[in-house]
Amino acid sequence: MNVVVTPAMLGQVLLSGVLSGALYALVALGLSLIFGVMRVINIAHGPLLMLGAYVTYFLYTKAGMNPFLTVPVSMAALFLVGLLLQRALVFRVVGQPELSSLLLTFGVSIALVNLTQLAFSSNIRTVEYITGSWIVGGLAVSKSRFIAFLFALAVTALAFAFLKFTRVGKAIRATSQSREVALVCGINVARIHRLTFGLASALAAGGGALLAVIVAIQPEMGAVWTFKSFLVIVLGGAGNYPGALLGGLLLGLVEQVASLFLTTQLSEVVAYVLLVLVLIVRPSGLLGGRTT
Amino acid sequence: MRKRLGSLTLVALALTSVPASAQGPIRIGASLSLTGTYAEPGTFQSEGYKLCERDLNAKGGLLGRKIEMVVYDDQSMPATGVRLYEKLITEDKVDAVMGPYSSAISEAVANVTEKYKKVMVAPLAATTSIFKKGRRYAFMVISPAEVYLEGLVDIAAKRKLKTIAIINEDTLFPKASAQGTEELAKKAGLQVVFKEAYPKGNQDFSALLIKLKSTNPDVLAAATYFDDAVALARQMKELDVTPKMTAVTVGGDLPKFQELLKQTAEGIYGASQWEGTLPYPGAKEFFDAYVKEFKHEPSYHSAAGYAGCVLYAEGVKKAGTLEADKVRDALLALRTRTMFGDYQVDKDGFQIAHKMVLLQWQEGKRVVVWPDDLANGKPRFPR
Repeated sequence: MNVVVTPAMLGQVLLSGVLSGALYALVALGLSLIFGVMRVINIAHGPLLMLGAYVTYFLYTKAGMNPFLTVPVSMAALFLVGLLLQRALVFRVVGQPELSSLLLTFGVSIALVNLTQLAFSSNIRTVEYITGSWIVGGLAVSKSRFIAFLFALAVTALAFAFLKFTRVGKAIRATSQSREVALVCGINVARIHRLTFGLASALAAGGGALLAVIVAIQPEMGAVWTFKSFLVIVLGGAGNYPGALLGGLLLGLVEQVASLFLTTQLSEVVAYVLLVLVLIVRPSGLLGGRTT
Repeated sequence: MRKRLGSLTLVALALTSVPASAQGPIRIGASLSLTGTYAEPGTFQSEGYKLCERDLNAKGGLLGRKIEMVVYDDQSMPATGVRLYEKLITEDKVDAVMGPYSSAISEAVANVTEKYKKVMVAPLAATTSIFKKGRRYAFMVISPAEVYLEGLVDIAAKRKLKTIAIINEDTLFPKASAQGTEELAKKAGLQVVFKEAYPKGNQDFSALLIKLKSTNPDVLAAATYFDDAVALARQMKELDVTPKMTAVTVGGDLPKFQELLKQTAEGIYGASQWEGTLPYPGAKEFFDAYVKEFKHEPSYHSAAGYAGCVLYAEGVKKAGTLEADKVRDALLALRTRTMFGDYQVDKDGFQIAHKMVLLQWQEGKRVVVWPDDLANGKPRFPR
């Protein structure tokens, strides 16, 4: 009954941790962006991810597209959805007490999940595209997870480059630093908010599209991702974009290593205990949160 | 005046002597998992209820009254189920109830149905403890969780396999199923080399599988529901985990399992309470009618739902009334074979006659490989 942990097993688990950590980072970056720029915690982030997964599913099954190539399409589609959501609803709670934004996005989240159930039923679906693994140096590297990992890295890198080098990206960062100064500098803050929400939704959709190849798709798959993303940005520092990367990787590793040494059940406990510890020791997150 | 009195008397007479058929339908309430984690099997069960309602009505209903099912969605959550049964009994004032899907939800709502003294045939509750708590009105239809993988253990022992790993979702039914499998395995001389539970809704089995792989078991017994069975099978392939036999409890028997997993499902064993191919009376007719009505094949959940509803109706017919205590006595005394197999309960309403079968996915088809007298194929092992 006693499982002896060998270095090979540890290596395998660390690999799994890094592979899932990159996805956590990608998805959490979106949540972090919205929080940084608008001070809104978007509970609907997970359901937006779920919609992204459905876009991929339908493009793959109905149009025969390579599921990995659907990532940009899925992201573009959800960029528009995000834009519309911001334009129609979310702008109303920007600058309001945090409870209003929580309530509003919670409502949006319930609506999205239930509309999806109505439209596509709650049946689970899968994209069986690539299965199996490569054996590299004694480690089994899941094909689908590894390719998803590469895509997650690429999309995250592009998002960072966008924020760092483009005019719009700079404007987003400026608005995130100080809304008033950004306004004074002639930045159209409302427009930046819309773009940010769109971009964040696109990042969630990117994660969803990649997840579609790995796990089963169903309307309620998103909720856990809202929580995980939230955990990630608190770990890394809310509104601190590199912090989302660190937090994502950390969460992936902690979950896997905890499952190895303890049990799968306890791994979630460990992740949340870590959250509490970080909140006690460094309330602003490991890399420091954004201060207003 | 006298004339008016006369007609009033007539009306009164007419009212008291209304024929049974004009009493309005017998309303039977249930909550089912139509969305959420258990949506897949829950939906099958609801279709079983629907078909039973239709068939009973086609045969003239029950006690001369039509049947009407009132079904709500409990979203796979026990707390919601409890609320819905309270509502069904106190607000909707249904005449009778049928059980929900899963042991966890049946266990929770049984407290409600006991409180209001309603007979509840719980066709999809497979956990022994539900029926061994002194409850008076709960009745079991399917085989208990503990013997789900009896066939797996039996085949493994005959094949002289040595070691077994047992994993389960940490909820009522899979837990009981894992415990039962462990006992059966020990009795059959198999050594349990790995045992671990995982939380409901778990999608990432990598660390668990890595540990499992290091113990190199001949047999993997996984006490699952549907979603986790799918995720598990996929990750076993990813992590190259290849025991000689792999079985899942719930999920492996559903056509959808193979649709979703394609080649990955090959060789995996599933446990089933029922198969359309089994030689039970009326099984084929049920199967054909079901396919015609719903455009897809029934699963055992459909059949158990149908059978549960038929058994309840049988109890009412025998009792000649809807009165709970009389229906209870009738169901306790009943011994019968339906399209679902044998029915007989002990004094607690616990099922003692029904038999499980083990099946294996072979070239995209479900083949019954155990027990021998019901099998239509032989188990295949990897070379």
